Amino acid sequence: MTEALVVVEDLHIHFGAARAVDGVNLAVMPGEVLALVGESGSGKTTLIRAIQGLTHPTSGKVLFEGKEADARHLPDVQMVFQDPTGALNPRRTVSEIVAEGLRIEKFKGNEAEAVSTALSRAGLRPPERFLRRFPHEISGGQRQRVVIAGAMVTEPRLLLADEPVASLDASIRGEILGLLRNLVDTTGLAVLVVTHDLGLAWNIADRVAVMYLGRIIEVGPTEELLDSPKHPYTKALLSVVPETRGMEQQILSGEIPDPKRIPSGCRFHPRCPVLQSGESERLGIAERCRGEDPAIISAAATREAACWAVKAIAVAG
Amino acid sequence: MTVVVGDRKRQRWVEVAREFWQARSGRIGVIILAFFVILAIAAPLVAGTDYINPVKARAAGLPQWGTPAEVGPLGTDHFRRSVWDQFVYGSRISLLVGLAASFLTILIGSAVGIVSGFVGGKLDSALMRITEWFLVIPFLPLAIVLAAVLGRSLLNMIFVIGITSWPSTARLVRSQVLTLKQRTFVDRSRSLGGSGLHVVRQHILPNVSGLILANTTLAVPISILTETTLSFLGLGNPQTASWGKTLEEAFVNGAIARNAWWYYLPAGVGIVLVVLAFTLIGQTLEQIVDPRLKDRR
Amino acid sequence: MTALLSVRDLTVTYRTSQGEVPAVRGVSFELEPGGSLGLAGESGCGKSTMANAILRLLPAGITTTGEVLLGEEDVLTMKPGRLRAVRWTGAAIVFQGALHALNPVQRVIDQITEPIILHKTEPDKKAAEKRAVDLLGQVGIPANRAEDYPHQLSGGQRQRVLIAMALACDPDLLIADEPTTALDLMVQAQVLAVLEKLRAERQLSMIFITHDLSVLTYVCDRLAVMYAGRIVERGPSDQVFERPTHPYTRALAAAFPTIGDRESRMNPSGLKGDPPDPAALPAGCPFHPRCPDAIDRCRDAEPPLLPSGPAQEAACILARP
Ligand SMILES: Nc1ncnc2c1ncn2[C@@H]1O[C@H](COP(=O)(O)OP(=O)(O)OP(=O)(O)O)[C@@H](O)[C@H]1O
Ligand SMILES: Nc1ncnc2c1ncn2[C@@H]1O[C@H](COP(=O)(O)OP(=O)(O)OP(=O)(O)O)[C@@H](O)[C@H]1O
Ligand code: SF4
Ligand SMILES: [Mg+2]
Ligand SMILES: [Mg+2]
Repeated sequence: MTEALVVVEDLHIHFGAARAVDGVNLAVMPGEVLALVGESGSGKTTLIRAIQGLTHPTSGKVLFEGKEADARHLPDVQMVFQDPTGALNPRRTVSEIVAEGLRIEKFKGNEAEAVSTALSRAGLRPPERFLRRFPHEISGGQRQRVVIAGAMVTEPRLLLADEPVASLDASIRGEILGLLRNLVDTTGLAVLVVTHDLGLAWNIADRVAVMYLGRIIEVGPTEELLDSPKHPYTKALLSVVPETRGMEQQILSGEIPDPKRIPSGCRFHPRCPVLQSGESERLGIAERCRGEDPAIISAAATREAACWAVKAIAVAG
Repeated sequence: MTVVVGDRKRQRWVEVAREFWQARSGRIGVIILAFFVILAIAAPLVAGTDYINPVKARAAGLPQWGTPAEVGPLGTDHFRRSVWDQFVYGSRISLLVGLAASFLTILIGSAVGIVSGFVGGKLDSALMRITEWFLVIPFLPLAIVLAAVLGRSLLNMIFVIGITSWPSTARLVRSQVLTLKQRTFVDRSRSLGGSGLHVVRQHILPNVSGLILANTTLAVPISILTETTLSFLGLGNPQTASWGKTLEEAFVNGAIARNAWWYYLPAGVGIVLVVLAFTLIGQTLEQIVDPRLKDRR
Repeated sequence: MTALLSVRDLTVTYRTSQGEVPAVRGVSFELEPGGSLGLAGESGCGKSTMANAILRLLPAGITTTGEVLLGEEDVLTMKPGRLRAVRWTGAAIVFQGALHALNPVQRVIDQITEPIILHKTEPDKKAAEKRAVDLLGQVGIPANRAEDYPHQLSGGQRQRVLIAMALACDPDLLIADEPTTALDLMVQAQVLAVLEKLRAERQLSMIFITHDLSVLTYVCDRLAVMYAGRIVERGPSDQVFERPTHPYTRALAAAFPTIGDRESRMNPSGLKGDPPDPAALPAGCPFHPRCPDAIDRCRDAEPPLLPSGPAQEAACILARP
């Protein structure tokens, strides 16, 4: 088995009382795309910021090629930020923004050419149209592509992408995802992509990890996970995907999840349809759902769900 | 490509300049200021230094308290000196002290504000404690004590004003830096491997430069007024004629009781106009370059 | 029923150092009270420009022509005071990508109550705060987060604060420019349900811009697809994507990902060719260089928007019933 490019070990990140990341194990292999999906506010951005070295973990480790990567910045790791407009300095032109990474690493080649190539690959063609513009003079989707170009121009080995195509139309989205997948296959680039777009996972991801309230609660190969989700949260999430309208829509009820008050036992139990429907009772695990935290999924897991019901059914079946 | 970018930056300043000129307040400020700057530069052409010297003035037979009707442009003072000549050369001193002291103010204030806001932590608390110390002790007594201790020279005057008025700038710049530091583009630059110095130069400075510029222009009138106050209190350089010193001498020698308006009025009006000009320019600049005021549209 | 909003021949031209950029080139449509119009189209085709122009939110120095009638009044010629009043209570906007636009040094609850207090839509501060907390709850943000500063919220939470803010003064028209880009499907469904309820109960009208075609078909009863600053196809929402008549709409619908479709697994599809440059549009139909069906006649003149099916219109010479 090839060695993982980045490994996250038992990571915890707390902001005062808020436990934004609450015990996460994760590994990304070279040449792999891992899609991280999950509820808004579940800690996805916090997790990848910690991998990039922008947030200090409260405890736990981030290892890049086996070496501890703490606060220092990894030139081999690049991030595409969730908020493209905020990620662009309003006082800098598009060409300066894309060239920034090259200038920092004292790039020896032809800067102008590298910048133009990066822009056209990100779908900003012809690049001359955009080089001299300021961020407020281009559209939202064009800004997102400038951020992508700026991250890709330095040829990182790990790309942390936070909702990278959320404001792009289907055709440009397809083009950029195609480009990413191509780089992954040909150069061994590893991608950890945060997304709510399950179509993106379907299009390019090898594996999917589902996050809920600071934890990864299910992980597995894309097709398996999307075809036959195991964790009740994943099932509910997939039931609202419009393409799978065949399923009955499950809109979760119960209290709004809040990292300042993580429920005891299984963190999903106050909203869990399995528990609410009495199914847990029948499986004889209702006590555990309410009182005992399912084990944290390990980084090496190929297919796992942190749920008592899944375990009980597996044992029974 | 760098040429192209430079081009684009220049263009932005052209835009700022155009917008500035379109605002009436900015236009008035610039016109008033231009008048005094030209006056100060062209001083040797429109006035002389001879009659500022009481000995030469006496030798030339100028009267004491001569009215403008009797002796040339603005009359003479109790020492027979020409008020017009003093006024014209005084403009040089007032502008010089105003600009130089503001420069010092802004330099210290911005440096403290940026370092404090950007580095944070212990250094920040230490610097802010010093800043607060300067803010709470009454400004005038401190300036008076300093001026008295250092001696009465033009350079000391500039130094005293600069060293006593930077704290408010430091606080302003610091708070702006603190919000900038939270912006995603700073995170982005960091994750590209940018050092602290790189981030400050590339991302913090360009975004506070507008604020600093506006603040500079607003610091000038304060410096000029401080110079006036200190001179009025007799702490100015006895050798040079500044507007503040003219006012002091006029006051001390009873120009008001004698109704010798030509003695004190020009200096007074000069100060008011220059202060007004810088304030108008500063406020207009603030409105144009401050992105917070602009984003609201 | 009279229209709440009627936009007539709206054009917007940016001026840049490289010349004029006609970003919106003659758009007309009407919106009834309680109606909702979905806008889709390629990135950079002028959607946000149009949305901002409707509320006159574009910076000075940009030429806008045409008419934007909100009720009886033309927004484009309104007095500034009236415009300010209209902006929150008559029509509100959720800006695209404005996650950083919240005031970093003000608690989110204060930012939501500010317009309520300013426009006096609630009797006092207490009532305003109650309304703010209630709105936050509706979009799935727990009450104890209301006291947070924006940087303490996640991207999606900030986006929901912006939505709550736009709804704070009970506007008659909501312009939402990609308001759900940072929301997972579950939360998105919840937010859309809130909007749906307002539409049913209070006749809230909406202009909804998004690239997510399934959201559009869910939220909007009518759809308009834009290309290069113009509407190129429009009609009832379920119809437009099931039976697209303009080749661009067809390409867009085809590129939309389907989970479970074996062909698109590890093979995302895009649209060939370069997006048009608004400053130098090709002659004739602006889509012809990328159009798979283009014929010689497509280069001659820009086709007008004409009926292409029952209740459907398209700007394509081949799309005639
Ligand atoms: N600086 C902070 N102080 C306090 N709480 C914070 C801070 N940053 C994040 N949080 C909280 O931590 C949780 C996780 O935030 P994070 O940004 O990682 O979520 P996310 O999964 O990226 O969500 P989204 O999809 O909405 O972007 C949220 O509930 C957020 O409110
Ligand atoms: N201030 C400006 N000066 C010059 N051109 C501009 C300016 N703002 C936008 N543009 C251009 O106008 C076109 C339309 O921009 P707009 O923001 O309306 O696009 P959009 O349809 O909202 O795209 P997106 O889906 O990417 O948000 C784009 O090609 C953009 O580059
Ligand atoms: S452990 Fe129990 S409460 Fe948690 S998801 Fe599984 S069934 Fe639901
Ligand atoms: Mg996030
Ligand atoms: Mg837009």
